[in-house]
Amino acid sequence: MRRAGLPWVGWALGGLFAAFLLLPTLTLLARGLGADFLATLRSPAVLDALRVSLWTTSVTLLVTVLTGTPLAFVLARREFPGRALLDALLDLPVVLPPVVAGLGLLLTFGRGGLLGPGLELAGVSLAFSPAAVVLAQLFTAAPFYLRAAKAGFASVDRDAEAAALTDGAGRWGAFRFVTWPLAFPFLLEGLVLTWARALGEFGATILFAGSLQGRTRTVTLAIYSALDSELGPALVLSAVMVMVAFTVLLTVRVLAARRARLGA
Amino acid sequence: MNRLTLLALLLLSPTAGAASLTVFAASSLTDAFTEIGRAFDARTGHRTTFQFAGSQVLRAQLEGGARADVFASANDAQFTPLLGRGVVSREVFARNRLTVIAPAGSGKVRTLRDLAGSGVRLVVAAPNVPVGEYTRRMLAAVDRSGTYGKDFAARALKNVVSEEGNVRQVALKVSLGEADAAVVYASDVTPTLKKSVRVVPLPTRFNQTAAYPLGVVQSSANPEAARAFVAFVKGREGQAILRRWGFLSPSP
Repeated sequence: MRRAGLPWVGWALGGLFAAFLLLPTLTLLARGLGADFLATLRSPAVLDALRVSLWTTSVTLLVTVLTGTPLAFVLARREFPGRALLDALLDLPVVLPPVVAGLGLLLTFGRGGLLGPGLELAGVSLAFSPAAVVLAQLFTAAPFYLRAAKAGFASVDRDAEAAALTDGAGRWGAFRFVTWPLAFPFLLEGLVLTWARALGEFGATILFAGSLQGRTRTVTLAIYSALDSELGPALVLSAVMVMVAFTVLLTVRVLAARRARLGA
Repeated sequence: MNRLTLLALLLLSPTAGAASLTVFAASSLTDAFTEIGRAFDARTGHRTTFQFAGSQVLRAQLEGGARADVFASANDAQFTPLLGRGVVSREVFARNRLTVIAPAGSGKVRTLRDLAGSGVRLVVAAPNVPVGEYTRRMLAAVDRSGTYGKDFAARALKNVVSEEGNVRQVALKVSLGEADAAVVYASDVTPTLKKSVRVVPLPTRFNQTAAYPLGVVQSSANPEAARAFVAFVKGREGQAILRRWGFLSPSP
């Protein structure tokens, strides 16, 4: 078979575009990995930001799995009036500008917000706390898991589940040993995407959680506030983010490939 | 020629002498400079646009090669480093004072002493933001006087729940009722803000004077118009507008 040749203009334009997409990230990597990478990495501002990001995203992931999995299961398997509408509404945070999400969170959970007085009475103060960071991440990132998990549960062969049930497995057993393993690659992929989105969260966090080193200042907020004074920490954290982002993409690729093999 | 192309031609070919001017100005100048810009444009036929942000952000942008014609900062720390390298002149055109604000409906912070009270949520600007620098100087002055006991500044700073990047973000957090108190400029207590906040008395001996320098940017494409803007700000009309928005005269 003769391969269609690409005219030189196509090569030039395509190459230009590829260079445009690659150059900024490579520049970040090169500048960030410069001579004092390790020294800057050990500075309190950078370590604090990494620590805050690491443990807030961990909590976000935990809550996402615990609450998102049953919800996704119900949405994928049960028919009920208004399901399509609910489905669309739950997807909303994915397309909502993060700063709008932050305003929504502030007006709902803030002290002056809808639930604020009640929460205050209960002694819970969310705005400007690490909990606010988690809520911001949960709101903007968890829908990614929800989407993937729904697709996962929908793809599981119902006959396999039915077989397990007739073989005497309880409903939990069927879920635990059949549904969960079969949907797992989807769930994992959704989780990785959720983590990446949570790690990069900025707009909702700065509005709802504020920015305080060691408490609510995540990696992205630290990059932003470091830009106000010295470039060093911003460059190092940016380089870290580039590496993390690449790892995430690679992981998702590998997972998708494995999923495709399982499906085949 | 149809009307649309005529309009396009009009927009593309500025009439003689009219220039597009970009002014970088500290966040606290948002209201006053917006009004000054309108008055200046009406008088001269120029078209002035503003970028308001923390002075430290604007300085970084100018150092990074951002195009602007005039730079107005809320302190010298973010202005003088640019003198000679990015900005060609320096004239103090206004001064400002600090003020402590609290949400109108909350009684948690009634006096200056309460800033260091336990369980108080304080929002201030980051140290490199001009108002953040003045805030820390003010707290240190209270500390030195010993009026409110030992470690006043340290205790107050421990109550800080967020360090914001510009003064308007600081004021916003109090107006939303999310912070118990904040330190902003007197000029930030605009008619709009006044509806939602209460001013906590700040004795003059602790207060800090903020001096605002402005100057023409070296790379300005319209240095003449930029100089005209600076003159307008320093002139009778500009000064009257600044006074109306709560700024003090440039000379003490």
